[in-house]
Amino acid sequence: MKIFQQNTEFDYSWEEVSTSNWRKYGPWNEKTPHVIAVDTLSREVDPTTGILRTERLITCKQSAPKWILTLLGGEDTSLVYETSYVDPVQKKVTMCSMNVTYSDILSVRETCVYQPSTSSPTAKTNFHQHAQITALCGGWQKIKNSMEKFTVERFEQNAKVGKEGFEMVLEMSRKVFAEQRELMQLQQDSKILQELKM
Amino acid sequence: MSASLAPECNEVKERYDNCFLKWYSEKFLRGTATTDECKPLFEQYEKCLSKALKTRGIDTVLKEAREDNRENDAEHMRPARNGELYLLSN
Repeated sequence: MKIFQQNTEFDYSWEEVSTSNWRKYGPWNEKTPHVIAVDTLSREVDPTTGILRTERLITCKQSAPKWILTLLGGEDTSLVYETSYVDPVQKKVTMCSMNVTYSDILSVRETCVYQPSTSSPTAKTNFHQHAQITALCGGWQKIKNSMEKFTVERFEQNAKVGKEGFEMVLEMSRKVFAEQRELMQLQQDSKILQELKM
Repeated sequence: MSASLAPECNEVKERYDNCFLKWYSEKFLRGTATTDECKPLFEQYEKCLSKALKTRGIDTVLKEAREDNRENDAEHMRPARNGELYLLSN
């Protein structure tokens, strides 16, 4: 078993980050072309805790090297099951994901948490990522080690690209939101003008 | 927003996603959500999606994933400490 962990910060409020998080794999993110589809399986607000629980299924194009694909059975798409929990009072988003494809050979379990940063809670958001990678195929310790090592390296490479991609989405969301506000203001102003004319 | 794994569900998925995002940012985060106005759209999307999941045999693997995820639910669906935080804010 191997562990990958990282902590980083986004220069956006928790509200902006938690909203944009739902658009993370959309067209505004140019860094995640391997994510083909994101489907929502269920969604509900827990009446006692107020926590929003969402189940999603993420479909990815495979980008692993040939030798791993051969070991795994050669499928070209993989599925990830994700459950997320948003607590709007404590301002905490927790996302847990696991691989559904090849889960009898390799287990990848990831938990990501977004919370207001302690240094600047209204303007910045802290991101913590923790992944546990375990190769499950029997025997052949050497192959198990190589698979785990490869997967951890992928996480390391993706950490930087993932942040860049999400930052594109955050920037775009802020821009669109500002434009919408401006448009609404214009509409309101013209209404006032019209009323004045009358 | 992202596409659906089933292209035939894309249109209704997009309508649902837009509805949800608006509800999330304007109501849920502000604590003013009372009803789920996106529910009718979600039901349409779900109907389309579940058919596709069944045809592709994904529904059975999802069942296993849900079983495996129980401990996460138990850990992250816990009420705030003694429920105090939540009650106070309401």
